[in-house]
Amino acid sequence: MQTRWRTVDIVVAAVIAVAFAAVFYAWNNLWEALNGFALPWRAAIYGVWLIPAVLGPLVVRKPGAGLFVELVAAVISAVMGSAWGLSVLVSGLVQGMGGEFGFAATGYRRFGLVNAVIGGALAGTGAALMDLGVLPYLPPMTTGQRWTYAILVIVSSAVIAGAGSWALQRALSRTGVLDRFPSGRERVAV
Amino acid sequence: MGSVEFRGFGWRHAGRKAWAVRGFDLRIEHGERVLLQGASGAGKSTLLAALAGLLAEDSGEQEGEVLVDGRPAREARAGTAMVFQDPQTQLVMRRAGDDVAFGLENRGVPRAEIWPAVDAALAAVGFPYGRDRDTAALSGGEQQRLAIAGAIALRPGLLLLDEPTANLDPEGARLVRTAVAKALLDLDATMVLVEHRVEEALALVDRAVVIGEHPDAVWAPGAALPARKAAAAPGGPLLRAQGLVLPHTGAVVDEEVLAGQALAVEGPNGAGKTTLALLLGGLTRPAGGRVAATAELAGRDAARPPHRWRAARLAGRIGSVFQNPEHQFVTGTVREELALGGASPAAVDELLARLYLDKLALANPFTLSGGEQRRLSVATALAAAPRVLVLDEPTFGQDLRTWRELVTLLADLRDEGRALVLVTHDPQLVDSIGDRRLELTR
Repeated sequence: MQTRWRTVDIVVAAVIAVAFAAVFYAWNNLWEALNGFALPWRAAIYGVWLIPAVLGPLVVRKPGAGLFVELVAAVISAVMGSAWGLSVLVSGLVQGMGGEFGFAATGYRRFGLVNAVIGGALAGTGAALMDLGVLPYLPPMTTGQRWTYAILVIVSSAVIAGAGSWALQRALSRTGVLDRFPSGRERVAV
Repeated sequence: MGSVEFRGFGWRHAGRKAWAVRGFDLRIEHGERVLLQGASGAGKSTLLAALAGLLAEDSGEQEGEVLVDGRPAREARAGTAMVFQDPQTQLVMRRAGDDVAFGLENRGVPRAEIWPAVDAALAAVGFPYGRDRDTAALSGGEQQRLAIAGAIALRPGLLLLDEPTANLDPEGARLVRTAVAKALLDLDATMVLVEHRVEEALALVDRAVVIGEHPDAVWAPGAALPARKAAAAPGGPLLRAQGLVLPHTGAVVDEEVLAGQALAVEGPNGAGKTTLALLLGGLTRPAGGRVAATAELAGRDAARPPHRWRAARLAGRIGSVFQNPEHQFVTGTVREELALGGASPAAVDELLARLYLDKLALANPFTLSGGEQRRLSVATALAAAPRVLVLDEPTFGQDLRTWRELVTLLADLRDEGRALVLVTHDPQLVDSIGDRRLELTR
């Protein structure tokens, strides 16, 4: 396993983070716009916030990538302004760690769909725990609603952040932009 | 200083079965000026990138060696400077002088020596303005001369030029060639130049090297070109530009685009040719005046200007090929790109073969070479075959073989009664199929 980060690893990870900070900004506003819309259900769109935690490791394939990309994206989106202030940094940290575990569990040797979905689900688990247990932003919900919220966040993260990142990485790889990465060289040669 | 040697050099880009270059041997002595030629896709840019030390070890597979002054090129980068095709991708600073100084600062040149070196480099390329000139306000030719100044300010032992005049109008290209010749006079450097159009480059070099399996594909002085002006009289108008204002220059265009006629739009960089192409293509809203379609082209939709049409209708009637081919690729493979407009598999196969893209049918468009991308973007327009085709620099980066094929395909479409609008700096293209000329000025 290669653990040392090259310049190109850092730059590409940072570029992904900046791109997703912009996505976060839009998604933060969408989430707020849906305010009042039956709460547990809007957690279905949650997975988009966790894409960097899975896409980072899938592209860079080095320890720390999930944490780095998710956290940097959170920092930048906080600077751009969000309704949750600096608490998004803590969320980013926990979510990034969740994604990281999905790949650490197999010693950073496997970067397939299974790891991606597990990473997404773990990142979602971290997010749900933060939202329901630590952060004060969610309005009061019944126990049933809280469970629904948690399950929706985790499933959304497994699908959107997990499988979605996997598909996104493969699409990126086909364009040749990831040729400097082992992840980008696995495509079928033509 | 500046001797170059390829020994059995080969490079295969990641994701490719075929080698971009293989078994290449070449020795260039210190101080030689060499023109590197080859068919589109033969690996010219790859060789130049290898010399510049820009082929990262982990972005492909290498065979043999490439040495600069006896050392691997990647370790000899400090003595190498390179100028690329597109001036806009290589200027990094706001002010002209700062841009030339950028490389010197990065090399850690003592501060007192920087400005004299910058002034000398600017003078050597005949840069017409002072150091404070805004780089964004320069024409393409001026930007390219500035890029060359930035390269020679480093006093490189090896100067690499990758089609430095390809994006420029003929006058700008001539000034850039003069600048290169002048700069080389007092530079003790080896030069390797990649250029398709030989006659323009020969004065700059001592010898030419032709690479690849198709030496007959390269441009040679006096090559026979197809003469394909329209044989029949043009049909009725399909599009009309009426008092159409080009925002940057304020020029007003009144012109008809006729069925069965190739209208060549010429003029210097910055004259608004690309803007006119976007307007005629129905892709932007006119700032003044209008673009009107005739009933022959659009039926009932003719009541509305093309930029208000629904996208599918527009694409079915007016096809556009952008100056930068990457701006119009939307699918994951060359084949899907061609099939997108609804062309039959047989028609797609024929285009792939005629434009020498058949081996790349499953490659991602973004992984193609510059010349291949250009052919693919033109081919997508040819596959869809709408009544009006607006093509911005359709022959850019083509070798003689692919150039002839493109010109023949375009002329065939025109002879079927379609209208062509050719925005171009390529005088041979205009000579071959241009039926009418529109000259824009700055």
